[in-house]
Amino acid sequence: MSNFKVSIRYATSLLELAAEKNNLDRISQDMELVCHTIETNNQLKLVLASPIIKSPVKLSILTDIFKPVVCDDSLKFLLFVVEKNREEVLFEIIKKFLELKDVSLGIVNVDVTTAVEFTAAQTDELRKKMESYLNKKTRLKFKIDRQIIGGFVAKVGDSVFDASLKHQLDLLKKQFIKGGASLN
Amino acid sequence: MAEVRPDEISAILRKQLAGFENEVDLYDTGTVLQVGDGIARIYGLTKVMASELIEFPNDVFGMVLNLEEDNVGCILFGDSTLIKEGDIVKRTKRVASMPVGEEMLGRVITPLGLPIDGKGAINSDKFLPIERKALGVIQRAPVKQPLQTGIVAVDAMIPIGRGQRELIIGDRQTGKTAVAVDAIINQKYTHTEEAKKDGIKPVYCIYVAIGQKNSTVASVVSKLQEYGAMEYTTVVVASASDPAPLQYIAPYSGASLGEFYRDSGRDALVIYDDLSKQAASYRELSLLLRRPPGREAYPGDVFYLHSRLLERASKLSDDLGGGSLTALPIIETQQGDVSAYIPTNVISITDGQIYLVSNLFNGGVRPAIDIGISVSRVGGNAQIKAMKKVAGSLKLDLAQFRELESFAKFGSDLDKNTLKTLSKGARLVELLKQKLYVPMPVERQVVSIYCGTNGFLEEIEIHDVKRFEKEFLEFIGMKYNQIFDTIRIEKQLKDETVELIKKAHTEFITVFKKS
Repeated sequence: MSNFKVSIRYATSLLELAAEKNNLDRISQDMELVCHTIETNNQLKLVLASPIIKSPVKLSILTDIFKPVVCDDSLKFLLFVVEKNREEVLFEIIKKFLELKDVSLGIVNVDVTTAVEFTAAQTDELRKKMESYLNKKTRLKFKIDRQIIGGFVAKVGDSVFDASLKHQLDLLKKQFIKGGASLN
Repeated sequence: MAEVRPDEISAILRKQLAGFENEVDLYDTGTVLQVGDGIARIYGLTKVMASELIEFPNDVFGMVLNLEEDNVGCILFGDSTLIKEGDIVKRTKRVASMPVGEEMLGRVITPLGLPIDGKGAINSDKFLPIERKALGVIQRAPVKQPLQTGIVAVDAMIPIGRGQRELIIGDRQTGKTAVAVDAIINQKYTHTEEAKKDGIKPVYCIYVAIGQKNSTVASVVSKLQEYGAMEYTTVVVASASDPAPLQYIAPYSGASLGEFYRDSGRDALVIYDDLSKQAASYRELSLLLRRPPGREAYPGDVFYLHSRLLERASKLSDDLGGGSLTALPIIETQQGDVSAYIPTNVISITDGQIYLVSNLFNGGVRPAIDIGISVSRVGGNAQIKAMKKVAGSLKLDLAQFRELESFAKFGSDLDKNTLKTLSKGARLVELLKQKLYVPMPVERQVVSIYCGTNGFLEEIEIHDVKRFEKEFLEFIGMKYNQIFDTIRIEKQLKDETVELIKKAHTEFITVFKKS
């Protein structure tokens, strides 16, 4: 089975479990922590992906790292994944879980790229606009990129709202080329 | 020196900028996961639809073929080296389309409609999608008008009608392309005033070269130019050096261009040279896209690949303008094996086939058409009455000759009747030989076949047959031109005309010098 399908299965079951135990907040907090830990720690990533390191070793490693910081249910889930020999997809499973959790709560992640930092008022304005357009709660993540010159680019999933100056200039360039400027 | 005034420049800039809207642009994107060999896999583009056109950086476009759970497989219509992993891909919400119009006549273009003949840009504002659904039952009419190829053997025994799909099949080096090019060259007469007077509509031609050497295509183009056939012809080229995706879509763009003529009430002829190479490039794409291989490693939908293409050939009903699109697909066989996968598929799709055989070709019978296994399933209705009348016995005579020919090789004691059949058959075979690029008008064909089937050639030596035919037709053209005129205009062979031919013959035989 493809990793894509596997991660959906595990993530859905964790989400259902959390809802059942009424523990979604804690578990998702834990998962964010685990996700962050794996993301920032390349060694841990390599250990999880390594087929040479046997699962008992991996189990004890994960227990040692996460036992003091996460709740029982979260730890059990991590160990369960390792037991089932799916530790190499663990990262994707957690990512998918966080994604599915946002969907179930009706929250949309919006990646906003701007040329200069937005003021609080501008951020608020953008949030309101996006929320009214998407009809969902939004979580804005900001990034600064001087390349876009001005304006902003908001990315929701695959869809891009491009209001950057760079894009406008690109469109203008295309139009000039297509227009084939002539003197009549 | 002429100067450009600054206010003129600003006026142009204003004009160009008018209508430019600087609102928020909304588009869907994905990321390239993998690229190479003319295909790419993309992550994202969750809302993309099958066969949608997508835009890569550096002005490369692609078409979506595979929609999978976590990625999208697509083919690239450009250089795959211009694209790298991680590039952003945009949806265009359009299907792949090409420019069409009269501006295309006389041009050599790529399957996406870009000129490659160095004659400048093509300014056409009409676009048609490359993949179009074939017409339904209601819009169609039966095939009833002839499409003269100018090749006697074809027009007499394997007639092709406007809107028909006739396969040209044979090994390499058997003259498949020559038959097709002859057919294009013969359409020249349909563009003359004379044809217009006789009620014959002009036929616009499209020659689609798929996976061929550029030198071969260039020689075809120069032949067409030499015979003045480029004026009403467009050549669509996806040569062997073009990526497989372009070779795969080339016949569909040829069909779209043909449909433009058809839908505007005109007649078009499109030649796909050749579909075996198209199938091979489709196989390449499918295997790279990890579609499961089937027989001969072709994917499961290779039948649909050709059936949906050839189904687009059609004759429109009079309500819709009565236009037509005739298709002449070409298939190259290996060692005469017509039971391979692609040949059997295309044979079953088309309305008949013209078999070209290498033995005949090497034996000097050119065009090397094997009359025994060549058929036309609908063209008979499209033949003119005069041709039907004279050609009826031709096929029978040739069949009898072929049967006796192999038998006669073994023994020398043959009765008079057998000898007569043999000598008549040999003369008919000689009569059907024809040089390259010398199409014969239908009225001449009728007279020529009449000579063959009515014993005019009995006294003529075999090596004199072609000369006799040529001189006799010239003789009629000079002294009895009304024979040709009546056949051409009335399309029938009346008793008076037959009497005239007989009279001309008795007169001519006295002056014909035997060698």
